[in-house]
Amino acid sequence: CGKEFLQKLPQGQLSEPQVASKDGVEAELLGAYGILNGNISGSWGNYAAAPSQWLFGEVASDNAHKGSEQTDQPNMNMIENYTSNSANDNLSTMWQVYYEGVLRANSTLKLLKADQEGAKQITSARATEIQGEARMLRAHYYFYLWRIFKNIPFIDENTTLDEAKVKPNNEDIVPKIIDDLKFAIDNLPTTKINGQSGRMDKNIAKAYLGKVYLYQKKWGEALPLFTDVLGGKDITTMPFENNFDVTKEDGAERLMVSKHAINSNGDADNANVGDMLSGLYGSSPVGCCGFYQPTIDLVNAYKVDNNGLPLLDNSYRTNEYKSDLGLAGAAKTNYKLDTTLAFDPRLDYTVGRRGVMYLDYGVMPGDAWIRDATYAGPFVGMKTMIPQSQFAAHAVPGQNYVTDLDVSIIRLADVVLMAAECNIELNNLPTALNLINSIRNRAAKLAPKKTRYGNNAAKYSVKPYTSFPNQDYARKALRFERRLELAMEGHRFFDLVRWGIAKQALESYSSFEGSLLPAYKDLVFNSNNEYWPIPQSEIDRSNNTLEQN
Amino acid sequence: IEWNSNKHQDKIITGTVRDANSNTPLAGATIKVLGKASVTSTNESGAFEIGATVNDVLEVSYVGYLKTEITVTTTTSNLNINLTEDISNLEEIVVTGYSTQLKKDLTGSVAVVNVTQLKSTPAASAVESLQGRATGVQVVTDGAPGSTPQIKIRGFSTINNNEPLYIIDGVPFEGKLSWLNQNDVESMQVLKDASAASIYGARANNGVVIITTKTGKIGKPQINFDSYYGVQVPKTNSFPKMMTPQQVLDLDNMLNGTSETLPEYLLAGGISGNNITSSDADMSKYNYDGKDRASFYQITKANQAGTKWFDELSQNAPTQSYQISATGGSENATYAMSGGYLGQKGSLIHTGFEKFNIRTNSQFKGFDGKLRIGENLQYSYTEGFGMGVNPNVAGDYQGEGSVLGFAYRIQNIIPVYDEGGHFAGSYGGWGNGENPVAIAYRAKDDKNRSNFFFGNAFAEYDLIPELMLRSNFGMRYENYNGINLTYPNPEFSEGSFNNGMSEYQGYFTEWTWTNTLTYKPYLGDQHSLSILAGTEAIKSRGRDLSGNRNGYFTLSSLDYFYLNAGTSNIGNASSGSVGSMFSIFGKADYSFMDRYLLSVTVRRDGSSNFGSANLYGTFPGVSGAWRISQEEFMQDVSWLTDLKIRAGYGITGNQRIPGYQYLNRFASSLTSSSYPIGGTTESGIWQSSYANEDVKWEQVKSLNLGFDFTILEGDIDGSFDWYDKTTDDMLYRLPLPAIAVGRAESPYVNIGSMNNKGVEFSLAYHYGHRQGNPFTLDLAANISKNNNKIVSLAPSVDQQIFGAFRSMETSILKVGQPYASFFGYKTVGIYQDANDVANNPSYPGARPGGLKYADINDDEVIDAADRTIIGNPHPDFVYSFNINTSYKDFDLMMYLYGSQGNDLYEATRYFTDFGVFKGQKSTRLLDAWSPTNTGSATPSITNEAAAEEYASSSYYIQDGSFMKLKNIQLGYNIPAQKIFGNNSSFTKLRVYMGVTNVFALTKYEGLDPEISATSSDYPALGVDFGIYPQARQYMLGLSLGF
Repeated sequence: CGKEFLQKLPQGQLSEPQVASKDGVEAELLGAYGILNGNISGSWGNYAAAPSQWLFGEVASDNAHKGSEQTDQPNMNMIENYTSNSANDNLSTMWQVYYEGVLRANSTLKLLKADQEGAKQITSARATEIQGEARMLRAHYYFYLWRIFKNIPFIDENTTLDEAKVKPNNEDIVPKIIDDLKFAIDNLPTTKINGQSGRMDKNIAKAYLGKVYLYQKKWGEALPLFTDVLGGKDITTMPFENNFDVTKEDGAERLMVSKHAINSNGDADNANVGDMLSGLYGSSPVGCCGFYQPTIDLVNAYKVDNNGLPLLDNSYRTNEYKSDLGLAGAAKTNYKLDTTLAFDPRLDYTVGRRGVMYLDYGVMPGDAWIRDATYAGPFVGMKTMIPQSQFAAHAVPGQNYVTDLDVSIIRLADVVLMAAECNIELNNLPTALNLINSIRNRAAKLAPKKTRYGNNAAKYSVKPYTSFPNQDYARKALRFERRLELAMEGHRFFDLVRWGIAKQALESYSSFEGSLLPAYKDLVFNSNNEYWPIPQSEIDRSNNTLEQN
Repeated sequence: IEWNSNKHQDKIITGTVRDANSNTPLAGATIKVLGKASVTSTNESGAFEIGATVNDVLEVSYVGYLKTEITVTTTTSNLNINLTEDISNLEEIVVTGYSTQLKKDLTGSVAVVNVTQLKSTPAASAVESLQGRATGVQVVTDGAPGSTPQIKIRGFSTINNNEPLYIIDGVPFEGKLSWLNQNDVESMQVLKDASAASIYGARANNGVVIITTKTGKIGKPQINFDSYYGVQVPKTNSFPKMMTPQQVLDLDNMLNGTSETLPEYLLAGGISGNNITSSDADMSKYNYDGKDRASFYQITKANQAGTKWFDELSQNAPTQSYQISATGGSENATYAMSGGYLGQKGSLIHTGFEKFNIRTNSQFKGFDGKLRIGENLQYSYTEGFGMGVNPNVAGDYQGEGSVLGFAYRIQNIIPVYDEGGHFAGSYGGWGNGENPVAIAYRAKDDKNRSNFFFGNAFAEYDLIPELMLRSNFGMRYENYNGINLTYPNPEFSEGSFNNGMSEYQGYFTEWTWTNTLTYKPYLGDQHSLSILAGTEAIKSRGRDLSGNRNGYFTLSSLDYFYLNAGTSNIGNASSGSVGSMFSIFGKADYSFMDRYLLSVTVRRDGSSNFGSANLYGTFPGVSGAWRISQEEFMQDVSWLTDLKIRAGYGITGNQRIPGYQYLNRFASSLTSSSYPIGGTTESGIWQSSYANEDVKWEQVKSLNLGFDFTILEGDIDGSFDWYDKTTDDMLYRLPLPAIAVGRAESPYVNIGSMNNKGVEFSLAYHYGHRQGNPFTLDLAANISKNNNKIVSLAPSVDQQIFGAFRSMETSILKVGQPYASFFGYKTVGIYQDANDVANNPSYPGARPGGLKYADINDDEVIDAADRTIIGNPHPDFVYSFNINTSYKDFDLMMYLYGSQGNDLYEATRYFTDFGVFKGQKSTRLLDAWSPTNTGSATPSITNEAAAEEYASSSYYIQDGSFMKLKNIQLGYNIPAQKIFGNNSSFTKLRVYMGVTNVFALTKYEGLDPEISATSSDYPALGVDFGIYPQARQYMLGLSLGF
C-alpha cells in the first residue's frame, strides 16, 4: 500500500493549479462582481451588506424605520437608535462581505499578474481592462467599508495572508481608493466590455471618483468628472419610475448597478436578497417581511407649497399627515384619504399609504399590510417592490419578497444632484438651478396615482425653482431635493454626515417622529455615531491589531 | 522419553458436561488436557471423547460458566462433569482490539455490557439502551422513533466530532446504528481508556464500542421467536402550561390601554377579528383552494378556550417487533440466522420508523479445525418519516421553525381547523406562528429510506498451533433516498401558494481489509504471552444526487410527484466524498503467574485527510495490572475472591474533520461566485477554503488507574476507575480575520487543548445464583463523574461564542470552562422602580419590571462586556440503578437512570415569556413582576423592551437534573415442558409485560429534560428549542424457543 492510496483530490472543488489560466482570471473577476449584491450564498442574513445600504443609509437616518415589530431583529434597532455596540451582527456582516469583495478583486489581480509574468494567455489589452474592472470593484468595496467604519485596514494583491492577519487600521485609505478609481478611469472603455450590461466602465469610474471627492469636499476636482458623465444628457427624457421597474432595467439613467437574477433553479443567491426584508407583510400579495418602513417625517417632507416647492424650513411638520395612525374602532375602519393635500408626486412612487393605489396590488389598505403600525408607522416602502404581475418572472417562487430587481449604486439623477452641489459650493448658482430644476421638471411628468375611485390621490404639484437668492438657500434646496429624489435608496444618512448636519437633523427629527411613534423619541446623536464600531470579533481575530473606533 | 511414553498410554475417555443447576447438557463446552495438545468440545447432548490418561487434568470451559479442572482417576467410566454458572464474570471472554481476552486479564478500562439487561428495554437502536448500562458512557436520547442517540464516552474529548468508533464483528463503523437489530447482539464492550483503545489509533479518541453479533452454537437448531407489542402514551401532564386566549388578551388590553374583546371569528377572507360581519362569514364565499391571495377565502372561528397545541400534536402510538432466529451447527459448521421487523409510530403525529432486517452468520472448519472461514452478513431496510426521524440526525430537527418550535409559538386562539375543515392559521394578523399540526401533516409523506448492507467474510488458519493468520474483509454499502414535498400553506401569515418536491438519492460504501497474525507460544504454566501484528486498509466513497422542481399540476396524488411533472424551479445538485486509511499495528499481552499482567500496543495510521507533511500518526498504549488476590499473602483473605489493580496510559487520535484542509481550494459556484452579467448569470470562481499545510491529528493522552474486585465468591463485585485525558493539538477552526480570508473557510489548526478528568464506580450484588436458590436478586449501581475543561483554543483566542439563535448566542467555548458552557448576562433580579434603574448599573432602555443584570466588569454600565458563563450543560454525575430479581419462573427488572447537576437552556422561553411576536405565552407570566408583585423573578411584559432584555441571560437557564424510572418489566417463564410434556419441542416460553419511561423526577419545565445537542458551529449542548419528548410505553412481549 503506497502513498498513492492515501492521496485523494478534493471533491467538486478546484485546487490552485487548476485555476491558473485565462479562464481562471476571468472567472475570478466574475466572482469579484458577485459581491456587488452583498451576498455570498443563501438568501437570509446579509441585509446589512445590501447594495442599497438601506440599514445604514436610510434606517439610521430620518427617512426610514427598521419596521416590522420592535422585537424582530433587535440588533437593527441599535443601528436605528445609534446605540450599537461592537457585537452587532450587522456590523460583522458588512465588514466580512465587503472584505470578501476586496479579496476577490485582489485574487483576480494576483492571478492576472502571474499570467502576465508567465504564460501570457491574456492579451495585454484585456489584461489592462481586467485590472481596471478589478480595481474599480475594489474601490467600491473599500468605499462602502470606509463610509461605515472609517478606520479600516488596507490590503491589496501584494499583501500576503500572514500580513493581512495583522494589518493595522491606522492609515487613511481614501487615497488608495482614489488611486484605484483613477486607474479605472484611465483604463476602462466608455462602452460596455463585450457589450455586457453590468460591466464596470469609464463613466462609472468617473462618477464614483467624483463622489469620493464630494465626500472630501473637493468640489473643483469633482465637478468636471460629473460634467463628463452627464455629457449633456437630458434627464427629463428618462422616466423617474423606470429606475425601480424590473421590466426596464439597463436603461439610460443607470450608471453603476448591482445586477440581480433568480437562479435557473429558483434559488435566490444572486437576487436582491439585501432588500428582501422590505417585502410588504400581512394580506399584501407579497406576504413578508414588513421591514424598512418610511418615516412620517419623510412622507411629510413631500408636502409642497402653493408654488409647488418643498417646505425647506421644516414647516412641513406642522399639521402632520399621519394617515390612519392613532385611530381606533370605527374611526379607523371608516378612515378616508384626504385627497386635497398637496404633495410632490414622487411621494406615491416612494411610499405606500392607505387609500392610494400601490403598483398593481390594488389600494393600500393600511395596517393589513403592516406588522405593527403603532411601532413603525402607517407607511410602507415601494422602490424595492415589483408588481405582482412580475412575480412569476422576477421573484423566487413562494418568496415574492425576494426579487431580481436591480439596485442602482449610482444613477444619473444622483450625478445631476452631486454636480449641482459642486456648483453651489463653487457658487455657480444658475448652473445649479438648472440642474436641480431638471430633476424637478422630470418629477412633474409623473402620472398621478389614483384612489380606489379613480380620483387623484393628492393635489400633486412639483415645480421648478425660479431662482436661488443666495448660496445658503440653494444649499438647502439641493439638500432637500436629494432627499426627495433619492429617498429610500441608501444615501440619506451618509449625506447628513458629510454635510455635517447629522446631529441637528436627526435629533430634530427624533423630537417630531417620537411624538407620534414613541420608539423614536429622545434619540441622541453624537459625533462618534457618524460611523460604527469595528466588529469586536474582527478585532479579536486580528490578535488586537485592529484598533476600535 | 517419558513424554512419549505418556502419549502411548492415552485412552479414549468419555464424559458428559451439564449445568450444575438444571442438569441440562451443555453443547459446545471445551475440554482440554492440560499440558497436551488434545482439545475437543461436547456435542449437542453434552457428550465428549478425548484421549487422556489417569492423572491427566482436564480443563472444562464454557462461556458463562466457571472453568473447572478435573483429574482423571479412571479411564473406563463415563465422566460426569457439572459446570457452575459464573456469576463473577471473571472468565467471561471479552472482545478487545482484534483479539479476545478473559475479563480477569483485562488491563485497560473496558465496560462489559450485560446484553440480557440491555435487551429488556426495547429500542430501535441497539446503542440507545447502552444508557446507564456501561459506566462512563453518557447517552442522550429523545422520543423520536428510530432516532439516533448521542453517545459520549468519558465526556467530550474534542470540540469536533465526539461520536465513538464502533467495531462490529471486527469491522470499524462510524455513523448511526439504527440499522442494527438489538436481538442480534451477542456482546457489547466499551473500550474507554486510551490503553485499551489505542489499538484503533486515529479513530479511537472518543472511545470504541465493540459489538459482536450472535454466532451459531453446536447442537440441533434452536429456533427462537421474540415479539412485543407496546403502546406509547404521551405524558401530557409534562406539556408546557400556556395562558388562555382571554388571559393573553387581558394582558394586551392592560399594555395598550385598550378594551378589546375576544373575537368570535378570527378570519373571513381578508378581514380579521371583531371587524368580521356575518356576511363576511358566509360559507358560500369560502374558497380554500384559491391559487392566490385574491381568490383565497378562509373562514376561521376563534378558539376562545385555547387550542392545546401539544395535545393536538400527540397521539397514542403502537410499537411492535417480531424477530425470528435460528442457531445451531455441528462441530465443523455453525450457523445463526435471524430476520425481523420493527415498527414504531411516534407519539407525535405523523412520525414513525420501520425496520426490516435479516442476518446470517456462519462458520466452517477445515483441515482438522486448523482452517476456519466464516461470514457475518446483515441487510436491513429502514424507513422513517416525520420530525426527528427524517432526516435522522439527533437534535437537528429542533428549531423555531420546527413542528415543536411552532407548538410553542403559535397563538392558541387559533384553532387547528377552519370552518371548512382545512387547516387554520395565523394569516390575517394573528402573529407569525405556523400551524404545527399542518406542518406535521404536510410532511407525512416525506420519507427517508435506507438499504443498508454490512458484513464481512474471514478466514483464519493455524500455520502452527501457536501461530494464527487471519484475514478479514468487511464491506458496508448504504443506499438511501427520499422525497420532500412542499404544499401551499396559505393559512400561514408568512405562507405561500407554492408547491414543490425535492428528491434525493445517494450511496456510501466503505471496505476494510484487515490482516492479522497472532502468536501465542506456550511458555510453561507461569507465563502467558500473546503477540498480534496486523495491517488494515480502508477505503470509502460516497455520492449523492438531488433534484427539485416546483409547480405541480395536482397535489392530490403521490403518484404524480416525479421531477418531470414539475414545471418551475428546476434544480439539481450532487456532492461526494472519498477517503482512505492505511494502518499497521501490533499488540503484546503478557502475564506472569496470572498475577502480573502487561499489555503493549502501537498503531501507525495513515489517512487521506492529511497532507504529505503529516500523513502518518503513531499511537502507542501500555497498561498493566496486578491481581493482588493471587498473591500468596492474600490467600488467607478468604472473603476476597479477586482484586486487580490496573494502570494504563495511551495515546489515541482523531482525524474526523472535513478533508483537504492542507490545500487551498477554489469553487466555481452558481450560488457563491456568480454574477448576472450581460443578462445571463455566469459562474465565476472564488477561493472558498484556505489551507493549513501543517494540519495533523488530534491526540488524546490518557492515564487510567483503577481496580476491579470480586468479593464473597462473586456475591459482590465492582470496579473503580480514575482517569485523566488531555486532548492536544485539538483541531480548531481558528477564525481568521475577514481581511485575510473574507467569508471563506478558515482552515483547521492544531492549536487547542481539552481535558477530561473523572471517576467511575460500579457495584453489584448478586444473591441466589451461587446458592442455587429459587430466589435470585441482582442489584447493580453505577455512577460516573466527568469534569470537562477547555484548556486552550489558540494563543490569540480565549473564547468563541456560538449557538446563534435570533438575537441570542447561547453557548461558548471558553478557556478554563467546560465545553459549550452557557453564555450571557447573569440576572440578579428585576428592576423595581426608576430609582432602581438609575442607581444601579443598567443598559439603554432599562425599565422597572425588566431584567436586572450583574455588572460583571464593575464599570457601572451593562453592556456586551458583562456577559459571562451562566450555566454548565454537563452533569456533575450520571448514575443508574438496576434491579433484577427472579423467583422460580418469575422475574422482575427495574432500571433507573439519572443525571444530576446539569443546566438546561430553555430557549423556547424567548417566545413564551417575553413580548416577542404575537404568540403563546407561558403561565409563568401570570406571576410576572408588577408593582404589586415585586418578588417575582419573571419580568413584566411590555411593548418597549430593550434589546438586552431578550439577550441570552440566566433567565433561560434551568436546573436540568432528573431521575427517570426508565423501565420496569415483569416476566414469566412458562415451564414449557411441564405444560406440553417432555417430548414437546418447546424449550422456552416466556411472556413479559413492561413499562418504559415510567416517571421522571425533575424540576425542569420543558417537554423533557433529556435534550439532544443541536448543530451549530459546534454542537450546542442542552439548548432546548423543543425536544421530541419520550412517551411512556406499555408493552407485552412473548418469547418462544423450540
